[in-house]
Amino acid sequence: MSLAGLKMRCVVAVFLICAGLAQAADPAKPVNFEQHVAPIFKRHCVQCHGESKQKAGLDLSSFASVSKGGTGGAVVVAGRSSASRIVEVISASDPAERMPPENDAIPNDQIATIRAWIDGGLRQNAGSTVAPPEANAMTFTPAANATKLDGPPPMPEHLPAIGRAKTMRPFPVLALASSPRAPLVAAASFECIDFVDPASRNIVGTIAFPQGEPHVLRFSRSGRILLAAGGRPVQSGAAVLFDVTSGKHLAEFGDETDAVLAADLSPDERKVALGGSGRVVKLYSTEKGKLEHTLIKHTDWITSVAFSPDGKLLATGDRIGNIHLWDAQSGGVVLPLAEHKGAIRSLTWRSDSHVLASCGEDGLIVWWDVAKGWPATSRADAHPPARPEGYYGKIANGVLDASFGPTGELVTCGRDQAVRVWSNDGRELHRFSIANGSTTGIKVFPTRVAMSFDGTTVIAGDSAGRLHSWQVKKPGKSK
Amino acid sequence: MGDARILAAEPVVPSFRRDVMPVFFRAGCNAGTCHGSARGKDGFMLSLFGYDPRGDYERVVNEMVGRRVNTAVPSQSLLLLKATGAVSHTGGKLFGRESEYYRTLLSWIEASAPDDVGQVPSTVEVSLSTNRLLFETQGKPVELKVTARASDGTSRDVTKLARFFSNNESVAKIDADGRVTAVGSGDTHVFARFSRFTVGAEVIVLPPEKGFVWPNPPAINYIDTLVFDRLQKLRIAPSKLCDDETFLRRVTLDLVARPPTVAEYRAFMSDTRSNKRTLKIDALLADDAFADYWAALWAEQLRVIGGNYAPVATHVKAADAFYQWIRRQMRLNRPLNEFVAEMVDASGSNLTNGPANLYTMLVHKPQFEPKAFAADFSQLFLGVQIQCAECHNHPFDRWTQDDYYGFVSFFTGMKRKPGVEPRERRIYYDMSAAPAKHVVDGRPMPAKVLGAIDPVPGGGDPRTALAQWLTAPENAMFSRNLANRIWAQLMGRGVIEPVDDVRATNPPVNEPLLDALSHHLVDSRFHLRSLVREICNSRVYQLSAKPNASNRGDTRQFSHAHLRRLRADVLLDSVVTVTGVPRRFSGFPDGTRAIEYYPRESGDTEGPHFGEPFFATFGRSSRATVCASETKREPTLSQTLHMAVGDTVRERLGQSGELKKRLDAKLKPDAMIEELYILVLARKPSADEVAYLRALVGKDENDAGAYEDIFWSLLNSTEFGFNH
Repeated sequence: MSLAGLKMRCVVAVFLICAGLAQAADPAKPVNFEQHVAPIFKRHCVQCHGESKQKAGLDLSSFASVSKGGTGGAVVVAGRSSASRIVEVISASDPAERMPPENDAIPNDQIATIRAWIDGGLRQNAGSTVAPPEANAMTFTPAANATKLDGPPPMPEHLPAIGRAKTMRPFPVLALASSPRAPLVAAASFECIDFVDPASRNIVGTIAFPQGEPHVLRFSRSGRILLAAGGRPVQSGAAVLFDVTSGKHLAEFGDETDAVLAADLSPDERKVALGGSGRVVKLYSTEKGKLEHTLIKHTDWITSVAFSPDGKLLATGDRIGNIHLWDAQSGGVVLPLAEHKGAIRSLTWRSDSHVLASCGEDGLIVWWDVAKGWPATSRADAHPPARPEGYYGKIANGVLDASFGPTGELVTCGRDQAVRVWSNDGRELHRFSIANGSTTGIKVFPTRVAMSFDGTTVIAGDSAGRLHSWQVKKPGKSK
Repeated sequence: MGDARILAAEPVVPSFRRDVMPVFFRAGCNAGTCHGSARGKDGFMLSLFGYDPRGDYERVVNEMVGRRVNTAVPSQSLLLLKATGAVSHTGGKLFGRESEYYRTLLSWIEASAPDDVGQVPSTVEVSLSTNRLLFETQGKPVELKVTARASDGTSRDVTKLARFFSNNESVAKIDADGRVTAVGSGDTHVFARFSRFTVGAEVIVLPPEKGFVWPNPPAINYIDTLVFDRLQKLRIAPSKLCDDETFLRRVTLDLVARPPTVAEYRAFMSDTRSNKRTLKIDALLADDAFADYWAALWAEQLRVIGGNYAPVATHVKAADAFYQWIRRQMRLNRPLNEFVAEMVDASGSNLTNGPANLYTMLVHKPQFEPKAFAADFSQLFLGVQIQCAECHNHPFDRWTQDDYYGFVSFFTGMKRKPGVEPRERRIYYDMSAAPAKHVVDGRPMPAKVLGAIDPVPGGGDPRTALAQWLTAPENAMFSRNLANRIWAQLMGRGVIEPVDDVRATNPPVNEPLLDALSHHLVDSRFHLRSLVREICNSRVYQLSAKPNASNRGDTRQFSHAHLRRLRADVLLDSVVTVTGVPRRFSGFPDGTRAIEYYPRESGDTEGPHFGEPFFATFGRSSRATVCASETKREPTLSQTLHMAVGDTVRERLGQSGELKKRLDAKLKPDAMIEELYILVLARKPSADEVAYLRALVGKDENDAGAYEDIFWSLLNSTEFGFNH
């Protein structure tokens, strides 16, 4: 008798404790997947149970896939955390049985959050009641005249002041983009993006990027919108659209488990493509705020994606040197472009959409004839570093970035600490070095390059976080 | 002076090679199962155990700018987030933020993650706080300290940066911080690895002292002294001395590869001289069969195979030339160092200059392959397997890629050109050939002997210098290898086992013994017979195979004789000797013994070749590789069936030979049974055995069928198939 009574009391006590913790997480609103549980899974689980790897067939990266369970069946049972497999494994007392393996246990408050979420009936988001609706991301309405280039070129005006994150030293310039219509360059920094005048390199405005480190910056054809994509390594990633004039955050796509390494906005502003260590390219509709296509073909990290200026094609490249062309509307496969033997570092389209240029860690630059799928021109060992005396073997000679200027010149930078400008037929027109000749053991090299909208100025960012620029044409002279 | 003071006042920036890479090693980041795998792990690769520091620096710092190493916000570097388990990491959490590993990495990144400028003092020696640990069964754990000495003469404590392992965890365990705990009685070694060095300490865990009595056996020579010394330390009592019957059979099988004849048995047993065992050993050593047996062992290791296919260098005629040369050297008692040196330095026709066939037979390939040859060469003549160092520094030994490629360069000029007839190849050294290239950076590596810093003088055939270095008395690797192989041949187990896997992490079970054997070989000017005589005369060699209570579990310390299944060729020769019915081998003259046989093939000589099917069944080396393990000693079911019903025994029973002779003599049953026992097993039957077998003979005292059955049974007994 007394035994049964004791048991009952214990059960009640446990229940009360759980309920108490769940409420402590957010007393006003019930726990939901997107706000509360997904960040925990992302932090502890999705490396092995995510989009790219599904150990035991289990994917914990989205509400739908969590509900589906793994090869062993369901991992959550609505309303019954104690009967849910996932709670069992994360709270196992034996470290050999506990998930995540070979790691500290998930903190108790986070386990309590997961339990509360299960016990509360598995809400997907704050608005869910019982059966949650389809995923709902932030949406964005493209300008009707997205590709019609008229009116004054958009420039940042009265951007709100932001508190810049304090860093020990400048963050490497991981991304750089030139406005196609204005004397304006966007340069990535740590958790923010600077707008810079290309010739003077003066900062004219800064917008915050609390998502982390921007790895990609792209202006829309109109110059009105800036796409910034990035995140925190092995934690989170997203692509964000900003209004250039006001600095306003317009929309956000992707809820990745690693920084987004490659992204682009289609010329009609209706699509955002993004990719990274997940090995897939995701194609979002900006109007619906929805993932429309997942392009599965690459077998390594996606390092670059680029829409053709005519909006028909999407080029994607990966870390083992494969490039694929896709139909930008349907997501269908068009062509593979095989030439590179090392990681692709950049893909860039010439304004006429006939030529795609690629460059990579194999030291190669290729100007692709897209119609034929064949290299029109290529330059091997385009950025050869000097060989120190008595130094044998391969020297890293990667070409780190490539970007077309308005009249078809290609500007590139590489591990030889140089920035080069190439003619349409692959002749070298200019060469600028940023070699520091330092003996401190720290090698600085240009990470990103761009050419100003009028083709007069080449600008480069380096691994020490500095910007460099060189005049290659007298301003005012058209063509 | 002023500069030095300023530098000293500033916080010291960790060096990538000296401080950061050891953290990768200690935490296991660059292990083969993690990022040290040839393809890396999860997109990030480090060189295995750090053989390529320059490449590792590039990959950590520059491959993905701002990601693995974030010099702007150092604590957000992925390197640190992953290692501390702050973000998900397949390898899990490796160390905490409070650890010194974290502090090292963080302060390096805070200093902008610099590469090393100029030469960083490299580790030249690693030592342990002790090289011997002795535990009573219940002993307190002992903490080892690891010290690394750098090329600039400085030393530092690297216990926290080394990795530890035990060779036998059922004897002693060692934890990640170098704490040794006794587990069970026995002896083993524990090791610490740091940089490219692995250093070990011997661990002895004693069995309970209670009840152990050291029998204090007399020592005949230094071998006994050293083995007994070791056994006494381990509280293991050796077995008794074996009886004369056992000794005679054992030593005859070991030295002339057949059992003693009945006449030899009776002569030895009736010999009353006190030194008759020594005299017997001397007589057997003087027998040509001793030389022939060692010629067979060398021919097997040197992979003598003859083929009939002309366009390769390994024609039957070349194999004959090589084999005959080897046998001549053994019969002439040629010093082993000269024997090896002549082969190493040999050139000329494969058909007329036997020893030049080292370069055609040791690796059977249509083209001479310097890398494959260098690996087999070192395994055979030094017992060292250097081939691991082709792709990375040897993880369990001292050999580096520099050693490997320098060694390969001794053979990069080896060429074979067609001779005057199709079967002939002329072996020569092309002095214009380029040396081997280092795999990491493509730098040419001139010929350099193992462990040396400078290459051998150039401008000539470097093999002369190689032969000199290899066979010099000072080269202990060579003399120890030979001594160990000779010991293993007679004792059934090497002091280092396997004999061809000598490495820092596979130390001798009795170091002074191996040293003494090696010194004996050197002092006797590399005379095989001298060392064999010494070993056979030792009490250790003559111990009984019967274990006692304290040595039953010992398999390594020579406390009792090992039961050894007869080698395939010795077994076949034994069947022929005992039955007196010869065995013919195709391609060889009548009277050829199995030990003198080597495969003759109708095609080429690549791949495994056993020759006669009997040899395949009983595991004679197929000569496919240079490994000692090619010779199989395991009993199998097909061996049992072959002896029971196969033609080797069946065709040799009563029709002719030794049994026929005895049937014709019409001996009395008891005498006949005794005669058969001596003939087959070299011993008299026990009274029980006689009584049991007597019942089989029945009324007809000359029942040939019954004696044939007894003879067959004895040949099929495990006692016949083993040397005991």
